[in-house]
Amino acid sequence: MLAQLVDVSLWESVVRALIPVLLAAIGGLICERAGVFQISLEGMMLAGAFAAVAAAHVTGSAIAAAVTAAIAGVLLSLVLAFGAVSRGGNAIVLGVAINILAVGLTSFLLPQLFGVRGSFQPEGGVRIPGLVIPGLADIPFLGPVIFDLSILGYMALLLVPATWLFLFRTQFGLRLRGVGERPLAAETLGVSPTAYRYAAVITSGVLAGLAGAQLALGNVGVFTEGISSGRGWIAVVAVMLGRAHPFGVLAACLLFGFTEAFGFRLQGQGYPVQITDALPFVVTLVALVLARRRFRRLLDLTASTV
Amino acid sequence: MTTELELRGITKRFPGVLACDGIDLTAERGEIHCIVGENGAGKTTLMSILYGLFPPDEGEILVRGRPVRFNSPLDAIRLGLGMVHQAFKLFPSLTVAENVIFREEPAKLGWIDRSQATARVKELADGYGLAVDPTAVVEDLPVGVLQRVEILKALYRDASILILDEPTAVLTPQERDRLFEVMRRLRDSGRTILFITHKLAEVMAVADRITVLRNGRAVAELDPSTTTPEEISRHMTGRDVEPVRAGPSKGVGEVVLSVRSLTVEGAHGLPAVSEVSFDVRSGEIVGIAAVAGNGQTELVEAIAGIRDVEAGSITVAGVDITHLDVAGRRRAGMSYIPEDRHRVGTAAAATVAENLLMGYQRSDAMRRGAWLRRDAVVEHARRLQEEFAIRVSDIDVAAGTLSGGNLQKVALAREMTHDSPLIIAEQPTRGVDIGAIEFIHSRLVAARDRGAAILLVSAELSEIQSLATRILVMFEGRVVAELDPDRVDEAEIGLHMTGGKVASA
Amino acid sequence: MPERLGSRFLAVVGHPVTVALVVAFGLGAVVIALTGGDPAAAFGEMLTGGFTGSGLRNTLGRMIPIVGMALAFSLAFRSGVLNLGGEGQMLMGALFGTMTAIVLPGPGPVVIVVAVLVGAAVGALWALLPALGQTMFQVPLLITSLLLNYVARATTSYLVRYPFGEPGAAFATTVAVPETNRIPDFQLLGGGISISLFFVVALVLLLAVVYRRSVFGYETAMLGYSGPFARYGGVDVKRKTLAVMGLAGAIGGLVGSHLVLGETYRYIDADMIAQTGFAWTGLMVSLLASNRPWAILVAGFFFSGLQIGGFAMERSTDVSFQLADVIQALVIVAVVSRLGLTWRRRRKLGEEIGPPQPEMEAAHVGEV
Repeated sequence: MLAQLVDVSLWESVVRALIPVLLAAIGGLICERAGVFQISLEGMMLAGAFAAVAAAHVTGSAIAAAVTAAIAGVLLSLVLAFGAVSRGGNAIVLGVAINILAVGLTSFLLPQLFGVRGSFQPEGGVRIPGLVIPGLADIPFLGPVIFDLSILGYMALLLVPATWLFLFRTQFGLRLRGVGERPLAAETLGVSPTAYRYAAVITSGVLAGLAGAQLALGNVGVFTEGISSGRGWIAVVAVMLGRAHPFGVLAACLLFGFTEAFGFRLQGQGYPVQITDALPFVVTLVALVLARRRFRRLLDLTASTV
Repeated sequence: MTTELELRGITKRFPGVLACDGIDLTAERGEIHCIVGENGAGKTTLMSILYGLFPPDEGEILVRGRPVRFNSPLDAIRLGLGMVHQAFKLFPSLTVAENVIFREEPAKLGWIDRSQATARVKELADGYGLAVDPTAVVEDLPVGVLQRVEILKALYRDASILILDEPTAVLTPQERDRLFEVMRRLRDSGRTILFITHKLAEVMAVADRITVLRNGRAVAELDPSTTTPEEISRHMTGRDVEPVRAGPSKGVGEVVLSVRSLTVEGAHGLPAVSEVSFDVRSGEIVGIAAVAGNGQTELVEAIAGIRDVEAGSITVAGVDITHLDVAGRRRAGMSYIPEDRHRVGTAAAATVAENLLMGYQRSDAMRRGAWLRRDAVVEHARRLQEEFAIRVSDIDVAAGTLSGGNLQKVALAREMTHDSPLIIAEQPTRGVDIGAIEFIHSRLVAARDRGAAILLVSAELSEIQSLATRILVMFEGRVVAELDPDRVDEAEIGLHMTGGKVASA
Repeated sequence: MPERLGSRFLAVVGHPVTVALVVAFGLGAVVIALTGGDPAAAFGEMLTGGFTGSGLRNTLGRMIPIVGMALAFSLAFRSGVLNLGGEGQMLMGALFGTMTAIVLPGPGPVVIVVAVLVGAAVGALWALLPALGQTMFQVPLLITSLLLNYVARATTSYLVRYPFGEPGAAFATTVAVPETNRIPDFQLLGGGISISLFFVVALVLLLAVVYRRSVFGYETAMLGYSGPFARYGGVDVKRKTLAVMGLAGAIGGLVGSHLVLGETYRYIDADMIAQTGFAWTGLMVSLLASNRPWAILVAGFFFSGLQIGGFAMERSTDVSFQLADVIQALVIVAVVSRLGLTWRRRRKLGEEIGPPQPEMEAAHVGEV
């Protein structure tokens, strides 16, 4: 039975499921490295999905949709940057508020702009374009799994090594890590924590917005209220489990993608959708307990919330 | 000789404190200039000004003869100053080379030239005998090596004036000797070293010149070849301040606190307290004199129940409290005035009344079943406010609005009022004004006279000498001397505290 | 004393809550105008619709879940425990409370009491899972409590569709709660409001007294102000974390039980998922009220009125009711961003400390 459940097409759906989460999680890991706890990924992803669909509807262009999604993510990220970095507000509480704001804004704008509730399908059937890489796509197994993706899919996968190179091989990456770890020490040496934190938070806005675009315009081409359905939170957990390391985060996203895809497969076998929906969250929770004692920093942060 | 650095009339005031009072100081190129003084003498403030952390209220700084103004440490770094702080400002997850090159990275188009970085760090390290592996990750390194990394950071930025703030506090004797060799080598290469320390033996070992600070003033400039540790110590403590002795004890009674072979683990897995044993009896004040970082903080935290005990036992009034929680220890008869009154001793957001209640909210006087006796809490707070002269408009005001001295009175009042058999007072007068100091001292003496056993930890020699019935000196985690305050002078205590006696023995 | 009056006026105008309200309604107006509406008309409808006539009655009814969930959130957050699992605690409590009311025989009042207690107990157990995760395994409960919301949604959906579902129903629902086992209404402003309202107000009163007068209230508040201070004073941090989470979950379960036994009389899956918004509104109300029970009652009334007014606004203008959610979220974003005006007296910590002490900075920077 397991052989039936695990085959090439399962791995195809694993990669598709992990892409939006991976995009958002890379943004989250950059923030984490800069010393900002970023938990508004869920909201920025949701806003990005809405903005992408709205722009696709109006312009009929996938590029415009992606750009608008990124802008929507950035606008929300600026709220966090201003409130937490400039005003010294509690980043966690602010992140929660931003997530609620995104839910409110999207469900307000949906009827307001398009006169519908629940979900909206833009005209023109715009999709984030796919790209089958000639030659490579014919490689058995790997070909269909990682060489037949949307543009944003390739971007997500390439961002993993790119982020690694940025963090560990460039001047700005080194300074970003320093800022996140010892902001006062970095400032003493002339590196502004504020500037780096703004840059990191804005980057996470771009990536989470694009994750939303991929979610809405990747396969289905529709915006549904609450379309992010916890993926932004899974991304937050991926950053924690992957210890803010690009390849670690990729591994955590793979775990999530696998459980989601496996859940779909189980659904096909007649298991109730409610059970398979819960699977990624249950697996994530178990992984958190198994990876315990790695979260000192976060515990210290939450201990001073009042 | 040429003058590298000159300070003229540096003055800095903080509310209620004159931290630096017209300090003059001249350091020549190629000398090791020691700056010594007690805690609160103004050393750290002076160095912070010199490093651009904040500006002086008055006075000027001249580097190589040119007057300069520092708006930030970056300005100071650019003019050739380098500082090795007491608490290292390193990035733990980065490698040694990354820490050294931070913001001055050798790079092409943003890409760090890692081989060049490693090579340059290695070259610098080898040139001054600073043995470090440039590729090691900082958090895996022992303290002694971290200090070398800090020195490398300064050298990499081409510092001609190197400030070392109490660099030996965290070193083993062997590491300390290696540091001295490095310092001499740096001096011989024409750099100027400002070496801040308490430890007189070290001063005598490396200094080319000595400046003594006391109460924010530069009181003496000495030549190590013609002076003695006793003379330096005399300048540090000052003859003019004759310590006020508390009246003799009304009689010492039974053992209240008994510590036996106590060992406590500190940072880096090393014992912070090793095999310490002592008693404190009813009616006496036992003072622990030690330079910061010699295990006294860990000792107190272990007795108070905030830090785990690795070995040994602690008994209060006959009850073994070694494995009790904080509440159990308080029930056994312990009161504790902690060193960090802002974070531990009080809660800034809570009211004065709430602060005065902490630790006794479950006592029968303060509650009836699950409910607080509001009237008792208020009455208790008002009584303490009056008795301890806590200057605050109302007991419902947030404690965070109180001045340092008043805040300390809140912690003091709370801990002194319950007639506990044992009172631990940790740096009870640090950072408070003279009036509050006298008040706090008189309360401690009054508690002693009613029969409390008091353990007093202080970095202020004068405080310990004036209050203590007996003095225990701690050095590097051990009790190295037990002294009678009536038979020793401060210079002698100071020698014990700085390991001077150990070194010369 | 005009001078003092003046500074008081400034204190009110410059207060973060005032500033937040101005910012939120201002931005809300911009959003309305940008999407082609008339801000003045929309806000007018919102306020009259929410705070007058039958709208006022609906507002009072809506306060039950909103104030209830706000109290649940405040209970934990006062101690610095950030419980984002209100949704799940509410859903789990609601379903089990409902099933108890459906299957338990006996006189109505007894069944109701037992049912809501079962709801409270299940909510509490659900909340204890993340609390235990934090105290036993050091897994931050802020994240686990949130993830458990999705598990709770799936679990309740599954249960109400299969084992607990009404056979043959077109959508996932339980059978109706027998009439005798429903929480009764009382009449006000020409319609019914559940008597649960009295219990919510009583809970406000109770918590106000507990927070202010009890040893528990004192210790949990001190824990929220400063963990090291509470630990130094002998407060058992782990036990307090478990206690506040258990109580928060219990209140969540109570609110959930009310939503079925006092409002819809059936546990309808889709409805209940939609009602989870109350958990988040409650969170915002608690933040706005700085966790103080009476302030929660006032802020809860205000946010409830905005939501009810939102429906009226949508009926008579073209602005959709979710504007209320947007405004609420903007209020909270502004409050958390500390947008108070600067003439408020600021505490100057540094000035009292005096010269810098290396140890103090070490606490921040941390020694390697």
